[in-house]
Amino acid sequence: MSTDKSSAASLSEAAVPVIACKGLWKVFGDAPESKLQDALTQSGGDARAAADLLIKDGMIAAVRDATFEVHAGEIFVIMGLSGSGKSTMIRCISRLMESAGGSIEIDGEDILKASPKRLIELRRTKLGMVFQHFGLFPHMTVLDNVAFPLKMQGQNKQTRHARALEVINLVGLEGRENSYPRELSGGQRQRVGIARSLAADPELWFLDEPFSALDPLIRRQLQDEFLGIQSRLKKSIVFITHDIAEALKLADRIAIMRDGEIIQIGTPTEIVLNPVDDYVREFSRDVAKGRHARVASVMTAAKTIPAPKKGQPALRLDMTLEDALASCISTYKPVTVIDDQGKAIGVVDPGDLAAALQVEAT
Amino acid sequence: MLTAIFRESGARAAGLSLLAGVICWILVPYVSWLTVWPTAWTLPTTQWIGGGVGWFLELMKPTGRGLAYLLEFPMDWTRLTLVNTPWPMTIGLVTALGWYIGGWRLSALGAVGLAFVLASGYWNESMSTLSLVAISVPLALVIGGAIGLLANEYPRFKGPVQSVLDVMQTIPTFAYLTPLLVLFGFGPVVGLIASAIYAAPPMARNVILGLERVDPEVREAAIMSGGTRTQQLFQVEIPTASQQIMVGVNQCLMAALSMVIIAAVIGGFNDIGWEVLLTMRKAQFGQALLAGLVIVVFAVVIDRMSGALAQQRQQHDKRVVWGLIVLGIVASLLTWGQLPNVSDYAFFDPSAEYVDRSLGAFTAANGAALDGIKNGAMFYMLLPLRIGLDDAVLTFTWGFDWTAGMTLGLFAVAFAVGLLLAWRGHVVGGILTVVAVGILHTGVSQLPWPFVMVGIGAVAWVSGGRRLSIICVAMLVMILLSDLWERSLLSLYLCGAAVFACAVLGALTGLLCAVSPLAWRIVQPICDMLQTIPLFVFLIPVLMFFQIGEFSAFLAIIAYAIVPMVRYTRHGLTTTPEDLIEAAVSSGATGPQIMREVRIPFAAPTILLGLNQTILYAFAMLVIAALIGTTGLGQSIYLALGKADVGLGLAAGAAMAMLAMIADRLVQGFADEQRKALGLNG
Repeated sequence: MSTDKSSAASLSEAAVPVIACKGLWKVFGDAPESKLQDALTQSGGDARAAADLLIKDGMIAAVRDATFEVHAGEIFVIMGLSGSGKSTMIRCISRLMESAGGSIEIDGEDILKASPKRLIELRRTKLGMVFQHFGLFPHMTVLDNVAFPLKMQGQNKQTRHARALEVINLVGLEGRENSYPRELSGGQRQRVGIARSLAADPELWFLDEPFSALDPLIRRQLQDEFLGIQSRLKKSIVFITHDIAEALKLADRIAIMRDGEIIQIGTPTEIVLNPVDDYVREFSRDVAKGRHARVASVMTAAKTIPAPKKGQPALRLDMTLEDALASCISTYKPVTVIDDQGKAIGVVDPGDLAAALQVEAT
Repeated sequence: MLTAIFRESGARAAGLSLLAGVICWILVPYVSWLTVWPTAWTLPTTQWIGGGVGWFLELMKPTGRGLAYLLEFPMDWTRLTLVNTPWPMTIGLVTALGWYIGGWRLSALGAVGLAFVLASGYWNESMSTLSLVAISVPLALVIGGAIGLLANEYPRFKGPVQSVLDVMQTIPTFAYLTPLLVLFGFGPVVGLIASAIYAAPPMARNVILGLERVDPEVREAAIMSGGTRTQQLFQVEIPTASQQIMVGVNQCLMAALSMVIIAAVIGGFNDIGWEVLLTMRKAQFGQALLAGLVIVVFAVVIDRMSGALAQQRQQHDKRVVWGLIVLGIVASLLTWGQLPNVSDYAFFDPSAEYVDRSLGAFTAANGAALDGIKNGAMFYMLLPLRIGLDDAVLTFTWGFDWTAGMTLGLFAVAFAVGLLLAWRGHVVGGILTVVAVGILHTGVSQLPWPFVMVGIGAVAWVSGGRRLSIICVAMLVMILLSDLWERSLLSLYLCGAAVFACAVLGALTGLLCAVSPLAWRIVQPICDMLQTIPLFVFLIPVLMFFQIGEFSAFLAIIAYAIVPMVRYTRHGLTTTPEDLIEAAVSSGATGPQIMREVRIPFAAPTILLGLNQTILYAFAMLVIAALIGTTGLGQSIYLALGKADVGLGLAAGAAMAMLAMIADRLVQGFADEQRKALGLNG
């Protein structure tokens, strides 16, 4: 098994997860809670069997027994095809929808038990959300849209407009604050959506396919800016997408969903190199593996590690396979790998390197 | 063989109707109660309703009268204000409002419209009518808005509320008036309350629709911003739905205006509707036309201005608004006390007299031709449809008498055509041909009730399944037992004839407009105009040429009810998806082929919806047309109003509403089926 040690280590240090979701179910139909209980009792707690029972009963089990944690400051991406339940799941966590079973804790607080009043408070201070089709208020200017969450808090006009301008600048929309949403391009609209969700400086940021409705070019641009904003703000993020490339580019960790179930959670490297089943493998098929897998995943700890030769730079542990191959393309002998301190710790056979890159092509 | 043919539900339904028809045909000479339901077998529903509702109304009467008394104050104040405001001021304000809403176009419309009203000499009458609208519309907006919000906030209520709104829309306008008359007493206040009740449903409907259509993400964004429910509703959802809500305001205004004018039939108070009614009764058609035009001007001005509110609009210079208002004030002050009485303006009286004179001359000169048209339509179309060929064909009308041999010949031809159609695979068409000839021979008003029930039940089964079939037959049984059967058939006959004419003429016009943009440029403003004119005004021109009678009513109904048929036909035919047309063109289809093979099938559900609207419009007009002489339910409702007979008014109104609902559901069912077959949703 390969592990991405550097990121995994830093993440496991976080004491209380920002979001802890256990055995979450969302069932559509009449009396979902009691029906779910019955189904679970009948199946002896087995999620798949319970889901089958519910379907037989004419219900729709949109999220099935989902368990995961989101750590402070991490970008947690939920990826799946449309209809896999990812949007439903994010709506259960933000309680835009009521779940049928399981528990959701935000900073250790059971939010399924939160009163409507407490929920409003949470949304005003702690949660921000960006929507696929932007969800902008058509009758308000950019400034009023962005300042809306602050208005809900009861801030006076001057304070909230000052703060709104700050966030508008952050997303690069200065000068457009008096425009109406209909006067903006898609990319600009989503910038407004992002600015609005950040206005109240929430600690937890939900993004529901924020870039899916945009052109590829604009999408890439916004993805980069999103990473830029995140590197400054360090929010805890739940990001929904159906695009594997986007997930791999942005995620610290990815959860892959199918038919309401989470079938794998892992770092981008783990997802690409060790897919749990064909479904996940199918996703990463089109992804250039060399760009995501690191040297560490193909290194062998040889008994005798030759010192790196002069003139030929050794491979570093965190190099991508693509870069590694480029730098040792002309040798046919094992190449030394060094760690951060420059200490030789293993070798890579160029044959293995090539094999790792080709494995999906066969 | 037979079972194979009748496997298709349509053929089964048609066959069943034919069977019922044949059995009735054979039995009718021996069993008279098949056509005429004996009075002894009817339930005294009318009395029951009269008693029950009457008792309730008596109970509510003190409250009602109190309310009426209270409402009289704001009504009188508004009227006094409007009547006593110097006209330069009023015109200045309306012109300013027009500018504010829609720039110079609406501003000019307001100025010219009001100038016409002023010059016609009907200024005071118009202001009286306007004062009723001014009070009833806010009431209707508040009631309708509240109902809409309630239905939106409590989804449990949405279904029931919408059914009630549906029913309210089909109940004929006059039927509202009778109980209100008892409750609130005579006087303009009844018109006011009736119009508030009549105008509230469109508002409620549009509020519900608008709030439903708010983008779910916008709704969620409001929640995630931490808004309370009140904040979400008033700061996000209602503003987002504002365009649809303004459509509701527009419809509410038009409905209120229409009802205020109709309410004149229970006694006017110097308002414009009363003027029309009075002059019409005195056969002063020039004046009636003038007063009718004043109503039309009001309708157009109110409609265009409130309609513009429902559209995206740009800002117009506010300084012009203030300028116009100041101009109105200055003009009023300068002319203070010097303006002659507004009723003395009568610039158009010569024209009105001229119209009367030339109308007299025209009818004198062309009386024979007009009578020819009228009698032709009556003798060769309406009368046979009503009482059947066997009774309608007389020496007096057709020049010969109907004989048993002719009956035999007619049916022989019908059966031959039917068999031929069935032979070529159109079993349903074949059977329906025979049934149609049977109906034509018997006459709609003399159809045996078992045949009507089986026929409508079968059609309902095909259209909407067992449930619809049971509902329809149950409604018919209720009508039969309430001793309203004969009148219902008479209403059905006139409505059916008018709808048929509308369907044919409207579909052809719609087709023409779909093919020729030029035709549509001419027809569109006519359609707009016909839809804006209050029902009442349609009666004037037909009366001018054809006097009181069924034919005039027939024409008035067609003029009013044809519009949706034209609009929907054209809309359906012109909105075929572009890729379908391209596919047809690249397959080598010619223009007419594309029309026949692609456009018309694709437009079918839309055209059916147009037909549905046409039917509802026809029923609405049928009651108003009772003023100029129809028989049937409309007449009963109108008579009940005169006698303040709550039982008869409500029973006949309910029967009319039931007929309208049956027709509505049947056509809707077929339209839904078509849409589903085409894979269209919604």
